[in-house]
Amino acid sequence: METTSRPVVVKRMPEKMNLTQARKFLKEVQPFVNSDRPQIVFDMSQVRHIDAAGVDVLLRCMRAAVKRDGDLKLAALSPQAAVVLELTRTGRLFEIYENSTAAVKSFSSFLPNAMRQFEPHGIHTITPAPSISTTDDQQGTGLAA
Amino acid sequence: MDIRAILLIGGISPKDGEPTERFGNIPFACLDVLGLSVEERVVQWLRHFGITICSLITDSPAEAQPFLRCRSLDSRTRPLHAESEQLWRAAEQEFQRCAEDGAELVVVLRLGAYVEVDYEEMIQHHLDRRSCVTQAVDANSSPLELFVLSASARMDAAELFQSRLQHLRRESEPFQVKGYVNRLQSASDLRRLALDGLLARNAAVPQGKEVKPGIWLGPSARVHRKARIVAPAYVGAGSKIRASALITRGTVVEQHAVVDCGTVVENTTVLPFTCLGAGLDAMHCVVGFRRVAHLARNVEVEVHDEKLVGTIPLSPVSRLAGSTAALFAFLPKEIYRGFVSPWRRKQAVRNAEPSEEAEPSLESPGLEASASESETSEFPSNFAVVRRYGNH
Repeated sequence: METTSRPVVVKRMPEKMNLTQARKFLKEVQPFVNSDRPQIVFDMSQVRHIDAAGVDVLLRCMRAAVKRDGDLKLAALSPQAAVVLELTRTGRLFEIYENSTAAVKSFSSFLPNAMRQFEPHGIHTITPAPSISTTDDQQGTGLAA
Repeated sequence: MDIRAILLIGGISPKDGEPTERFGNIPFACLDVLGLSVEERVVQWLRHFGITICSLITDSPAEAQPFLRCRSLDSRTRPLHAESEQLWRAAEQEFQRCAEDGAELVVVLRLGAYVEVDYEEMIQHHLDRRSCVTQAVDANSSPLELFVLSASARMDAAELFQSRLQHLRRESEPFQVKGYVNRLQSASDLRRLALDGLLARNAAVPQGKEVKPGIWLGPSARVHRKARIVAPAYVGAGSKIRASALITRGTVVEQHAVVDCGTVVENTTVLPFTCLGAGLDAMHCVVGFRRVAHLARNVEVEVHDEKLVGTIPLSPVSRLAGSTAALFAFLPKEIYRGFVSPWRRKQAVRNAEPSEEAEPSLESPGLEASASESETSEFPSNFAVVRRYGNH
């Protein structure tokens, strides 16, 4: 079962998420987070240093997204990010996926479909991925149609 | 019989993927385990067998120097510092000096591994075989960097030191260690050593008083009355466990460490002079010196945020100055709170009043009311069911 696809924004987080970088990052993602029913994935594969300010940004974005009936998911956590999220007890607040594609796909399927993927002999339904827009520091920002 | 010991710390140049035997930049041998550093424990173990004169040669960096506490431990311990390339040369010279001073046997041990070997038995084995060099091996016959050398065997010693304890000039029957062996190559080995000490699997006895079964407190350790400690656990000298913190499952908090309010520490070693921030969840890791080594994930992460993992000054004067400053910052805050809190309480009561009025309207939808009436009509009004928890 699939939902009608709305754009999913995949945003790559910078290598350092200290106070300065976190503020900059928050400014960049604010337009997406403040849109109607935002569907956002933060790709954390590049993150090498993350501190309390970085974690705070994640929580703020999630709160804002949930407030607008959207969701924020995390993907491809680097070991550094995973340790800090576990240490700060914030990891459990997010849905975390192995890679951005899986995170994006999860937006398009209802929970039973998503759960079926974890079953060893379950029926794997191939769902067409919704439109993805990837944004990172090099590419600038953009939103899928 | 004149037996002397040469202890070596460092002396490895780890390649990619190989264990560094260090946490950050500090060798595991210099780190505390249940209140005493590994090197101190080794020196004590040697003394226990009458090997009293020890030379300690290290190539540790400047950061590790404050942790080499053997210097203050005993005047008979000769500390020597050598550059990493010169360590083996220094060891060879030290061996020659021991021989010239009249030593008959020299024990050479690189830390490295923490080994609880019966030196009496090992020396007897060495003398019985009339070997020049005897190497210790563990229960799986893997060689350990622990040797007994005859002081007269200078060529053998030179070959041994030049090969970085890898080659023996002459084959000899190795001595199998029956006691506890921990190779201390990674953070998980350090953690295992501490846990084994807590569970009395080795001779690394916690330094402090056992206040409850399995809970040790070091001198002047402070545990807040609202903090909870579950055995087995160790809280080192001068450490602080603040309110609502939970210390559980073999956690070791070393000397002058702080676990802040509400933090849960499970199966973790908090290294000395480390401040673990408030409201954290430290599980299966070794934390200290702004680093977290996660044992389950097998990663070591640098944390630059003082709110998460901070450091406490090593010198007592700096610590005193810090706590005085904290006290002066705390007092005005509390006085301000004292003034503001009655007003806030009044505000809260005022805000709560309209919600109390609104409550009845939420509970009076017609459908739910009729359903509850029909339910209650089946039972007499004086019929009460008391459900207890558990199998009663």
